[in-house]
Amino acid sequence: MIEESQLSEPQEATWCIGCGNFGIRAALKQAAIKLEVPHEELVLISGIGCSGKLPHYINMNALHGLHGRPVPIATGVHLANEDLKVIVITGDGDCLGEGLGHYLHGARRNVNIAVFIHNNGVNGLTKGQYAPTAPRGYESKTSPPPVGSPMMPVLPLPLAIVNGATFVARGFAGKRKMLIDLMVQAVQHKGFAVIDILQPCVTYNHELTWKYFNSHTYSLEEEGHDPSDKTAALEKAQEGYDNLPLGLFYKAEKPLLKEGLAIPKDGKLRMKENDLQKLQEIIDRRVIQ
Amino acid sequence: MDLNFNIGGVAGQGIDTIGDLLAQLFVGACFYTHTIKSYRSRIRGGYNYTQVRVSSEPVYAPVDEIDIVIALVKEGITRQRDQLVDGGVIIFDKSIEFEDMESCHFPAPLKETAEEVGGSEKMTNVAAVGTLLSVLNFPFSMIEDALSVVFKKKGDNIIQKNIDVAKSLYEYTQKEFKSKCRHDLTDAEKGACRDWLLLNGNEGLAFGAMAAGLKWISAYPMSPSTSVFQTIMQSAQELEIGALQTEDEIAAINMAIGASYAGARTMVTTSGGGFSLMVEGLGLAAMTETPIVIYDAQRGGPSTGLPTRTEQSDLMFLLFASQGEFPRVMFAPKDPQEGFEVAIRAFNLADRFQIPALILGDQHFADSILNIEHLDVSNVEIDRGKIAPDDIEDYKRYELTEDGISPRAFPGDKGKVVVSTGNAHLEDGHVTEDPIVRKAMVEKFLKKTPQILEEMQEPRIFGPEDAKTTLMTWGSTWGAAYEAMKILSSNGMSINQLHFCDVYPLRDETLRTIFDTADQIISVEQNSTSLFAKLVRMETGLAVHHEVNKYDARPMTARWIMKQLKEAGIE
Repeated sequence: MIEESQLSEPQEATWCIGCGNFGIRAALKQAAIKLEVPHEELVLISGIGCSGKLPHYINMNALHGLHGRPVPIATGVHLANEDLKVIVITGDGDCLGEGLGHYLHGARRNVNIAVFIHNNGVNGLTKGQYAPTAPRGYESKTSPPPVGSPMMPVLPLPLAIVNGATFVARGFAGKRKMLIDLMVQAVQHKGFAVIDILQPCVTYNHELTWKYFNSHTYSLEEEGHDPSDKTAALEKAQEGYDNLPLGLFYKAEKPLLKEGLAIPKDGKLRMKENDLQKLQEIIDRRVIQ
Repeated sequence: MDLNFNIGGVAGQGIDTIGDLLAQLFVGACFYTHTIKSYRSRIRGGYNYTQVRVSSEPVYAPVDEIDIVIALVKEGITRQRDQLVDGGVIIFDKSIEFEDMESCHFPAPLKETAEEVGGSEKMTNVAAVGTLLSVLNFPFSMIEDALSVVFKKKGDNIIQKNIDVAKSLYEYTQKEFKSKCRHDLTDAEKGACRDWLLLNGNEGLAFGAMAAGLKWISAYPMSPSTSVFQTIMQSAQELEIGALQTEDEIAAINMAIGASYAGARTMVTTSGGGFSLMVEGLGLAAMTETPIVIYDAQRGGPSTGLPTRTEQSDLMFLLFASQGEFPRVMFAPKDPQEGFEVAIRAFNLADRFQIPALILGDQHFADSILNIEHLDVSNVEIDRGKIAPDDIEDYKRYELTEDGISPRAFPGDKGKVVVSTGNAHLEDGHVTEDPIVRKAMVEKFLKKTPQILEEMQEPRIFGPEDAKTTLMTWGSTWGAAYEAMKILSSNGMSINQLHFCDVYPLRDETLRTIFDTADQIISVEQNSTSLFAKLVRMETGLAVHHEVNKYDARPMTARWIMKQLKEAGIE
């Protein structure tokens, strides 16, 4: 339903040459086409950082908002119009630093949105400080030697599994086909879907490089992992940078947030008004006899 | 007739129920009431009171003098003694140990009768009501009627038990209460006063928001704002309103922005502390020109301050909140009726100008219960502002137009791509740092303000227009100042009141006229630094002649204002 030409970039990307974001954008384009939905039904909600700029480099409905807040914004968009396929474009600093609380609450609500975390371990746009997913010891301008980053990295995927997300996966900007496939599945999934997308920052992160990811990742599918096995998924999701699993960790079916709310049957709040006769009845019940 | 009843007890004893019951009884008998709640930030214990003022004339504020106290704990007996009028009565439960008896004290077997006649200590509140009404010689038949209505849902058996308890105390009091009460309501009759509502400010605001077509509300509970959210939540199923309690105020405002971007009318409710967290969201709403209504029920600040007390100290904070410059509107409704009207106007202006609309209440506005005329929602006018036509080609969300307002479209609209961003942007919503575009976009914002100003209402003058002295008020302090003005006026003083509901942007025609005609203008505010007087000076250069400030976080009374004026030599 979507032609590739409909997605052509409104603006030229300002990402560095060789940036993982190009691969993610290319995958997103292909996923959008494969989804076979009307162009107007796709919405990108992004935060702040290099990832947050993506909506300006692909032609789709978008709200490029605040640092750390795309999950609540996306939640509001989705609940106001259920037809929309709402995709959060966020980074590790955005989603797991500023927005970690929202991420966990989004997961436990099982709100029907897809969250794509562009994970490169650095705050790139502010020029290379350590991000929440940087390994302990990672050296940057704000985590100088000899200690480097003085804390453990945030592990987004175990957090998602434990807190109620129902589609939890990891992709890699360098493995396009797998990433496209995961993106399509995540958007089609009914519930809170997360893809942790490994993405080298060629300018600032000299540890987590294309080469590193190519040689330190493996496929869950090839290993015969069963995504319905929560315990196994949780174990796999905690494996560190030494050897990172790629693919679908966990998938489940659970009640959706909207099922617990009083959203109209057609799933739309857009341009709706309230039934004033009903409201008058509610007010009339308060009349003092 | 103008009587004031104080019901004191600890949280959890049901003093609110007594207050509500009394207000309903008297409103049912066609009296006017004004109820305030003085409570603490705790769930159980701690001395609280509900105070119900009942009058044959409309009343707008609390008073200091108390005619009858119902004390459910010892503190209730002692705390309000000084405020008791001559001939006033303090009713309390017999079981409370109290030795310092005076003629005004009336120990009654409230709990005992509740248990023996009604079978439950819970009916102590009805017992107290029966006693109070007996002291007033209020006709018992009317109590029966009222209890039947109030406990309708609980069934005939409970109604009868409540009536029995009330009757038992009513008769006991007729027999045992020897001191002579000044009041005799024997002749109270139900008049033609049907259709009155008993609402607090937050409820008025909530009904207004629902009438205006609110379809999404997200909030985190915070006193004294929470009852707006709860009132809407309770009707959400019936009206199909999306409503969600969020993890924090940051999520609340961002969800609302998302829902508004997708086309729903949205509101968030909070108090100053929660609004602090919402400030970055306010800026996003402004920059993306996404309409939103924000309600701040002010309480004593800064920080946690006084969670359950009143203050008008967030005015400048809301006026200047967020980095950058952008148009916004601000209202401060004075009572439940105005809360209803302001909510509707706020939604319409937010949509029409694609701006944040801020409503300032405070604990006094939020919790004070008044009887108001029945709210009719059949004539509510909804203005969603400029919406892009279906067939438009090459839609641009921030198209530069003559009036600075770009037609809105929503994601999901066929043939349109709707792009919004908190960054400076081009007409199509994509980012830019181009100085010419930046200038044009700032001017787009600037164009809105004069148009908004035209929609703002002038302040209202109460009392004679050409008076020598003017009391200048805004928001919930209207009532006490109005009553003070009325009393002083009837005493022969040349005085009026200039009251603001629409506080920003500020209309100044009436203001300038008053500054021309009056000899002295006195600001009366529930804060310590006269924030509204400052706003007036900032906008107009006009300075008030005297400032009256109450900053003990308790609501004003007419008597308190008159005392301040007298002490300042203003007579």
